[in-house]
Amino acid sequence: MGLLLAVDAGMRTLALLITLVAVAPQAVTDQKSVVPEGTIITSVQVNGFDIDRLSPGLRQDIRALSGTPLSQQRLDELAARIEAERPRYIVAVRSTRDAGGQVWVFFLMGRRDEPERDPNINDRYVIEDAEITGLSETELTQELRDALKSLVGTRLDAGDADRFQERLQRDFPQHDFSRRMQRGSEKERIRLVFEARKKAPPPWLRFEPLKSNVVYHSDQKWGSFIDLAVGKGPVRVTPLFAIANADDLIEEFSGFGLRFEATKLGTRRLGASFEWSRFDQDWRSPTLDALLLHPEIPAAYETRSTITPMVKFAISPNLSVAGGVSISELEPLFPETESQMANAAVASVFYNQSWKDASEATHRLEGSFGVRAGSRELESDLAYTRYLGQAWYRYHFGRHQVQASGMAGGITGTPPLFERFALGDSTTLRGWDKFDISPVGGNRMAYSSIEYRYTGLALFLDVGSVWDANTERKVRVSTGFGFHAGPAFFVVGFPLNTDNVRAVFTMGLRVSGVGIKW
Amino acid sequence: MVLAVLTWPVARASAQAVSVDAVGDLLKIRAPSFSFLKGEPLDRLRDGRSVRVELVAMILAAPGKSPSTTTRRIFALSYDLWEERFAVTAVDARTQSVSHLVLAAAEAWCVEQLTIPVRTLGALGRDVPFWIRLEYRILDGDASAPQEDSAYTLQGLIDVLSRRRKTESSSHALEAGPFKLRKGGSHSPQ
Repeated sequence: MGLLLAVDAGMRTLALLITLVAVAPQAVTDQKSVVPEGTIITSVQVNGFDIDRLSPGLRQDIRALSGTPLSQQRLDELAARIEAERPRYIVAVRSTRDAGGQVWVFFLMGRRDEPERDPNINDRYVIEDAEITGLSETELTQELRDALKSLVGTRLDAGDADRFQERLQRDFPQHDFSRRMQRGSEKERIRLVFEARKKAPPPWLRFEPLKSNVVYHSDQKWGSFIDLAVGKGPVRVTPLFAIANADDLIEEFSGFGLRFEATKLGTRRLGASFEWSRFDQDWRSPTLDALLLHPEIPAAYETRSTITPMVKFAISPNLSVAGGVSISELEPLFPETESQMANAAVASVFYNQSWKDASEATHRLEGSFGVRAGSRELESDLAYTRYLGQAWYRYHFGRHQVQASGMAGGITGTPPLFERFALGDSTTLRGWDKFDISPVGGNRMAYSSIEYRYTGLALFLDVGSVWDANTERKVRVSTGFGFHAGPAFFVVGFPLNTDNVRAVFTMGLRVSGVGIKW
Repeated sequence: MVLAVLTWPVARASAQAVSVDAVGDLLKIRAPSFSFLKGEPLDRLRDGRSVRVELVAMILAAPGKSPSTTTRRIFALSYDLWEERFAVTAVDARTQSVSHLVLAAAEAWCVEQLTIPVRTLGALGRDVPFWIRLEYRILDGDASAPQEDSAYTLQGLIDVLSRRRKTESSSHALEAGPFKLRKGGSHSPQ
């Protein structure tokens, strides 16, 4: 029965299409509706073009027409958007009502006339031979070989050659194709050569994510971190600059550094990085006051110099591991005390995956787990072990976006201040100030966040806690809204479970991935 | 009637770079040093492909000023594999063709087609000296899909901020002057 209904519906669509095509206009300006304005649309179809090749937003807007009142102006706007997106096609809109009273809207797409090929003086020569280099004979289907052979013996037609090249590109998406002509063995004969070059496979290892930003936090004030990548292919050099950056750690740091990265060392499974940095610290008074009350926490320091060599190995395109050491020298605030070394072995595993579902929504998932172990064997004055697990997921459909993230971590031993966890900045527990809730950070942390975005407007809910083992744990919640326009953002957060509900706002520029190519 | 030609180079770089003939009601431009077929586009030509070039001539009241008059033409060039000569066709409204040219002659022919009606100069030329700016753009015949690279790059930002066209693969400009029109057949600098 279901099959019969489907066949019936299919036949009805076909009959409608035949009628429509017979009267299909040649220009988008000819789009007279035969259905009164305001009639509810039953179904919408795009014919003559694969709707999946349109952008997700446009597809969504076309599909959203079903069940809405017919508006010719709206249909014209959508037709114009399709033409803007696919300038080689012309679009006509037809709406019609079938015998059953169902209202159908059709976007009929046809390719515009091929643009005139540029004149080529070699068009007068006859092709004596045509070949494809860079592909083995066994990779070519008989059909392709026949099509190639059909070019031989004819005068050069740039259109035919273009179409054959496009066909090669479709059949061998892992290759890039170019074309050249050479003199043939006799005068006025030419040889046509299509050259295939295998595209470089996508890298398995990723560069360290860039996080350049200039941020104003209404409690923590201005700060900036700039990482400007310079590189090409699998090699990158990234100068780092920080100016009064209090957004990442419990310390406010300024200084500079340099990171070298290679995501392919002989094989795309193996990579390495080396980072050197030197940052001067400014400590907020709540932090210094809290340190006086907690002598068990290592002292604040004046400067932090760190060297971090790492080796990375990709198990698969989505899963990689990294290992190395982080050697840090902490110069004391007071010259009479000695500097401390905070040297740690570092290991982490990273997973990332992105995919599209049947509704064309995109999903992206990233997760990581890292361990940093400060050890006497590494000549470290501070012995500790720090664990941190993080996960981030994004669902993106048209103008809608949902982001969910979570992280949890713990530290044993006596970690330096820069290793202690902090929440309450421009990206975590928005609405709270970390210097209020944990001025010296904590050795335990759990946090999760969910955010919904519609184009540039965001609503979020953050829940998290940072505390020291053997102390009372308090879960803090915040909510708020934000506006995002390209790299610019403005976010207002409100702490919820507190007697002092107030607005905390952050704004600035955050550019993920600033780089120059050389 | 030949009105005049004048090359009064102020910038050393533009000395003898551009000359202008007023023939009848048209200004004709010659720029022997203005070469636009080189590098990758020239390789494409020598591989038997055609290359499309847009040439623009602008009349300026002073160097760097916005143009008071502009003329632009688009040319399709190809290279005869057997005769080793270039062929050029103007592919805009006024279709003109020429073939069997060496490289420099093909480039010169394109520049010579950039005629400017003298009447469009207004006060420029007769009473006030003018400058000429020549620009070219190699146009990609195939409008390739934009790169779907979500990462920002400085080059990308510069392209966005300067509104660089996706189809353009390279461009270049040459500015020369000042020029002034004189009555008579003299072709000497001012």
